Formats: sequence, C-alpha cells, structure tokens
Amino acid sequence: MKHFGILMQKEWRENARNYKIYWIPAIFILLGITEPAVNYFLPQILKASGGLPEGAVFEIPTPTPEQILMAVLQQFQTIGMAVLILAYMATIAGERKSGTATLLYVRPLSFSAYFLSKWVVAAAISLASVWLGFFSGYYYTLLFFGEVEIIKLLQMIGFYSFWVLLILTIVLAASAALPNGGLAAAAAFALYVLLQLADGLFGANWSVSPVKIPQYAATWLTGNPDISSLWGAVGIAVVIILVLFGFGSWTAQKNKAKTKV
Amino acid sequence: MNIVEVERLTKRYGQENAAEELSFVLEEGTATALIGPNGAGKTTTLSMLADLLSPTSGKVTMAKGLTIGFLPQYPQFFPWLTALEFTEMAAKLSGVETKKARLQATRTLEFVGLGTALTKKTGTFSGGMKQRLGLAQAIVHQPKLLLLDEPISALDPTGRREIMDLLKSLQQDTTILYSTHILNDAEEMTDQLLFMKDGRLIEQGSLNEVRNRHANPRIRIRLQNHAQALEFAEGQAWGSEVKENTIFLPVQESGPTMLQVLQVLASKKQDVLGVEFQTASLEEIFLKVVAGK
Repeated sequence: MKHFGILMQKEWRENARNYKIYWIPAIFILLGITEPAVNYFLPQILKASGGLPEGAVFEIPTPTPEQILMAVLQQFQTIGMAVLILAYMATIAGERKSGTATLLYVRPLSFSAYFLSKWVVAAAISLASVWLGFFSGYYYTLLFFGEVEIIKLLQMIGFYSFWVLLILTIVLAASAALPNGGLAAAAAFALYVLLQLADGLFGANWSVSPVKIPQYAATWLTGNPDISSLWGAVGIAVVIILVLFGFGSWTAQKNKAKTKV
Repeated sequence: MNIVEVERLTKRYGQENAAEELSFVLEEGTATALIGPNGAGKTTTLSMLADLLSPTSGKVTMAKGLTIGFLPQYPQFFPWLTALEFTEMAAKLSGVETKKARLQATRTLEFVGLGTALTKKTGTFSGGMKQRLGLAQAIVHQPKLLLLDEPISALDPTGRREIMDLLKSLQQDTTILYSTHILNDAEEMTDQLLFMKDGRLIEQGSLNEVRNRHANPRIRIRLQNHAQALEFAEGQAWGSEVKENTIFLPVQESGPTMLQVLQVLASKKQDVLGVEFQTASLEEIFLKVVAGK
C-alpha cells in the first residue's frame, strides 16, 4: 500500500477543486428536505396550482413521520444513487482516456493503493452526503410531522450506508474495467436494475440478499427487521465489496496499456 | 556499461506489428535519438521501455535499480493541481522522501524555467509550459534513464533551444533516449541513432557510422554560368553532375581531393563563385534511409 497517502491527497484535492464535495451533499440535502416540505405544503401547492372546481374537497391523510423518512430513502434510492453513479463513473476510465493517468502509471505505483485511494475519498463524500441528506430530512420531518426516535434514524442510516458503499464500489470497479465513464455508468445502472429485478422475481426466499439492505434499513423506522437476515445481507455486501477491491485493482493495472500516451 | 538491453522486442496489435524485432542497447551516459516518420513505432517502443505497454515478445533487460523518467509526447496534467503540487506528487510517487520532495520539485521547476508559475494551476498552462512541466515531472527524482517522446516538437524555436540546452546539461549523469523528427536537434545531441520505419529498426549506429554509410561526400563548385560548368565537367575524368552553373563531384577513395580540384580550377584560371566540401545532412540521410529518396 505504498503511496496510499499521496494518492489520497490527490483524490481529495480533485474532489474539492471539482466542487464534488459541495454539489453532491447539496443534492442529497435538497432531496432530504424536499420530501417533508412537499408533503407538508401539499394542500397549499394544490390550491395555488388552481384548476380545481369550486367547492372541491380533498381528504389528504397526513403521513406519519416514519413514512416521510421512508420516502426520503426512496428518493435516495432512485435519484441519489443515479447521482453517485454519474459523479464517479469516470473516476478511473476518465484518467485513462484523457491521458492524465500516464504520468502516474509510469511510476512504481501500487494499484491497490491507487484504487483504494479513490474509493476512500468517494466513499467519504458519498456517505457524508447521504447522512447530511437524511439529517436535513429528519429535521424537517420533526418540524412538520412529529417525533421519530433518533436511534431509529441512526440504525436506518447506518445499515443503508453499506448499500451506498456497495453501489459506489460497483461504479469504481466498472470504471477500472471499462473503456470510458459512460460505459461504466451504463454497466452500473444495468447491474443496479438487474439486481433489483432479480430480487423482486426470485428473492422471496433469499432473505440475505444485499439488494434487500435498503428495505431492511427502512424497517428500523417502524419496528425491528430480522437481525440475522440483515447481518447476513450486510456480510454478503462486504464480501462483494472486498472482491471488487481486488478486481478493481487488478483490472486497473491490466488496463494500464489502454492509457492514452 | 549497458544499462538497457533490448532484444527482439515486438508489439503486435492484431495483424499489425507496431514494433518488430527491435534490438539495441543503451550505454550509460549516452544520448540516443529514435528517428522515424509518424507511425514508425517510436511511441510504442518508448511505452514498452517505460512499462506502460507489455511487449508481445522479446525482452528488455534493465540495470538493477534503474530509475526512469518518462515524458509523453502530449503530457496531460490534472488541471486542478498547481505545477508545484503536481511535481511534488510526482517526486513522492517516484520515491523521493516526503521531506525533500517539495524542495526538489521547486528546484526542478525553476530549472525548467517555470519558477514564476509554481502556484499556477496546470489547466491554465500554454503548450510550451506543459512541455516544460512534463520535463520537470520526468526529471524531478533524478532518474538514471530518461525516456522522452518528441520532447521539443511542440515548442517554438526559442523554447526548443532552451530545452535542448537543458537536456544537454542533464546528459552528464543521465542516459537519454528520445524520439524526434527534428533532425537538426538530433544531430546536436546524439551518441547513437536509431532509425525506425514501419515498426522496424532500419539503421542504427553512431552519428559518424551512419554518416559514413550514407553521407555521400561531394565537392560542389559554382561557376559563372551553365556553359562554363559544362566545359569544366567535360574537361576532367572525375564523374560529375552538372546543374545549371553548379558541378557536383562525388568524393571517393580514389579522389578527387579538395586540393586536386582547386589546382585544376587554378590552372584553368576559372572565375569561381564558390567551392565547398559537402556531406549529406542528417535530414538527407533520413530521407534516403527512411523514405528511400
């Protein structure tokens, strides 16, 4: 793991100076706030948008605070994950394609340090964004809809974080393996959808599927998920992440020759 | 001492040979120019030596512990790093101690003429500045072997002169292999020439050896007009070629020598515009060897 520190400093500078450390958290905070805010102001929004016949009466049931937070998680699952995939799809492929990687690869570089330095910084920013997003959503949920125990929220976020790391690792490994960021994103999206689909179709009896992590994480809000299934799913996710570390480092080194010189 | 030995190095892409059976050695402290037209395989060869590409067959043997600096033809930098940050990182990744890296990076940048641009982002650099920064990152760790892909082609004449002088000053403790198609420069800094065409080495040797094989020495005499030139050519036994008012006499072992020519001219009381001894420039040799002209 020679040079890990130097490479991490480089990654950090890149993410700071490309403003990723600002706009990724900003999107998650926005997503987090939107859900409680839109739900709270829905009656006014409908009224203001007009077009309703005179005397129309709507009965909109007030959602529970738990439902609001679950909806936030749903937003993260769709828009949030897409943002992370798009933000990090070119992490390795882009360096190869632009030729900036050449001046790194000609040095005695440890490719596991190279891959891991990118992973650590991307993971730190992604997790910080997800956590900030949830906390902002939580704040407005408390304000508009009432109390949810903080411990429940923390349990949800904690377990959901494993899912975020899994997605991120898939994107980085795809970026190491494929010729460009677009293909890496396409592969990551395809895998993401396929996994969800496979779990939906055949996952009924497979309780330790990592795809179920978000679902289990959300269960913390309303009760207790099946702990052994949850840890089983997390365990498998961790194993996949570790395997992808190995694969990502290996394929990044193998693709060294494809760097633009 | 040979610090690099290249034996039958080959790189194949599908049916195409980007480099074919290359064999040469680099002696310590020498400068070798890799010369060839575009697409000859120069970049492929340098990339294999820099370990960016693995050869299809053949082998490269390097002296133990040999440190390498590499400058690509179009060096690309992370645009959000400053010149100093980038060079310092390059130094550390090449094994320079963390404590010394910044100082060494600063000195190297000053050496290549970027002393006033240390804290400028590389994204704002002009082509010439990028080339200098490229050189800085290649030499910041004081490598024993320097591989340079067209180090001066992108520069204007002043920049070219400066970089050539820098390279010459490095030559004392560094072995240099560089590709170029600017032959005047190659002539200036080379102990060994490697001519490449279509992935193959078609000529190699020292500048003198190559010159002797292809130099085509001749004496050029300029007279007043075509008639005089023709008359002179017919009047002596040396095989000669006449173009307008100029006569070219190929110099072979049997002669003529310059003295003999001058004596003939003097005896004929010929009104001469000029007489000079000519050998083919590297450019002419290049055209002859590479393009077959």
